Amino acid sequence: MRAVPSAACLVALLLFPLVAIVEPQDEFAEFEDNEFAEFEHVIEDEEEGDFLSIETEDEEEEVLWEDVLDAEFDDGEADVQVEDDEDEFEQFDDEEFEGFDSERTGRKGRSQDPPDLKITNVPYHLRTSWENFYLEILMIGGLLAYAMNYVAGKTKNHKLASAWLTAHKDLLEANFTSVGDDGQGAEVQSGILMKESEHIYSIWCSGRVCCEGMLVEIKLLKRQDLVSVISRMMRPSADLVTVTVDLGVADMDSFVFAVGNKKTIGRLHKDMNDLSLFVPDKRPGEKYGLPSGMAILSESGEVTNAMIDNKMVRVLNNYAEMFDFLHISDQFSGPKVKDGDPQPATKMPDTKKTIIFAFNVPGQGRSSVKDVFSMEPMMKLVFHVLDKVSRFRLSKEAKTKADKTRLKVEESFLKMTHAQRQEAAQARREERRRAEKDRMMAEEDPDRQRKMEEREYRRDMKKKQPKVKQLKVKMG
Amino acid sequence: MSAAANSSADPRRPNKVVRYKPPSQERLDDPTPDYMNLLGMIFSMCGLMMKMKWCAWAAVYCAFISFANSRSSEDTKQMLSSFMLSISAVVMSYLQNPQPMQPPW
Repeated sequence: MRAVPSAACLVALLLFPLVAIVEPQDEFAEFEDNEFAEFEHVIEDEEEGDFLSIETEDEEEEVLWEDVLDAEFDDGEADVQVEDDEDEFEQFDDEEFEGFDSERTGRKGRSQDPPDLKITNVPYHLRTSWENFYLEILMIGGLLAYAMNYVAGKTKNHKLASAWLTAHKDLLEANFTSVGDDGQGAEVQSGILMKESEHIYSIWCSGRVCCEGMLVEIKLLKRQDLVSVISRMMRPSADLVTVTVDLGVADMDSFVFAVGNKKTIGRLHKDMNDLSLFVPDKRPGEKYGLPSGMAILSESGEVTNAMIDNKMVRVLNNYAEMFDFLHISDQFSGPKVKDGDPQPATKMPDTKKTIIFAFNVPGQGRSSVKDVFSMEPMMKLVFHVLDKVSRFRLSKEAKTKADKTRLKVEESFLKMTHAQRQEAAQARREERRRAEKDRMMAEEDPDRQRKMEEREYRRDMKKKQPKVKQLKVKMG
Repeated sequence: MSAAANSSADPRRPNKVVRYKPPSQERLDDPTPDYMNLLGMIFSMCGLMMKMKWCAWAAVYCAFISFANSRSSEDTKQMLSSFMLSISAVVMSYLQNPQPMQPPW
């Protein structure tokens, strides 16, 4: 909606300064006359006495104008320009001085200059040729290049995203009742590819057994931004497809598991709340028959054995470059909060049962529609894992162990935040007391002061008393 | 494969359809459009006040980059206003001083 009109608007607006620059020289002449008139004085004799006289006499305006035509100086740089202008003024020097002298002395002396007027009556913009504006032309060229890349990148991204949807529509529609809902409108929509930005598209599917819904995010490269395109030439990266499946309460047992690219798994282990809390260490994938570049994070060996079945091994070995990672968790709460966060959580972050898949689009950035079509086995893997997870149930001992771990984590969190909460309460109490004392000190009336002191004393007594009372009750 | 496994039962459940809810948390992992917007404003102001042409041109570039990287949920008025500001900075710089830009070298 913003693409074509904005681009046209932008081009039109960019042309405006060009028009402004190529204005008829009349405006410039008048503008320059007044300005150059002052500098005429400054250059020649640095006299300002005759400033007004020269300006008001129209017949001499042209003289001034042509004389300083070659000046090309800005405000306040007259001194510098004197040196520069001397070369250009060589031919005109004597005449100019003559004319100027006569102007100053006689104020009507322009006997020699009129012929020169005709020669130098050249429009300003032709004297300073276009070549002098090469930087501006470069800038505008850069902007045009950026605009063209924007349109091209946008189109390519849209093509890739639509191709993904087309390629997988049948599979999705066989599995979900609603494919492509955007949440707007009273009725459930279908087939909508949501555009989060020019390089991120998403599809929401729901209406399936074993899950609440599935969000497919197609995170493409920023082909519409020339800066990103250039930085990608140094550091190639790939388009990503992230599939997040939200599970219902009964759809999954309690375990945390992740498998994928070694580097990615290392990063997840550090960043993700649940993986760092529940999984002590990572294991190499070769032990379970996976390609060597893969690692596994698992809460218990039983889970690993159940998840890494023959089918998974086959798919991961065949499509190792397409598969980035798989993260299954019943305690998923997103990445860890950074240390610089001003608001530490006073209660546990909400967790939900989620399965996250991440796939790379083959082609390392130079993806085409064909590459997108070749990703179908990955989506089939998604459904396979989904069904497997919903069917899988932990053994009794694994389940008790898992429940114990979760309870421990929750307790430790509460303990940590309890200390924080106590500190906060203590701080608040201190503040209140300090405020009271300040108010008391500020009271000038001795009576009122006395009353406040009494009130404080009574409050202190009351604070001490409850402890005594409690003891009494206990003993009673 | 999954089709074979599920051929006995259709996995679709029309009664389990859940409407899409856009995530409440704004995508924090890409601050580029916001930074570029701010930078564009600063350059425009510099270009206008100090009459520096290169500042004004840089502002136009920043506005364009911010527009290209922006999310769909963002306000187009904000984008348009930053564009207008940067272009006005360029135009004002040239109106006040029609000389071509001098390279620093």
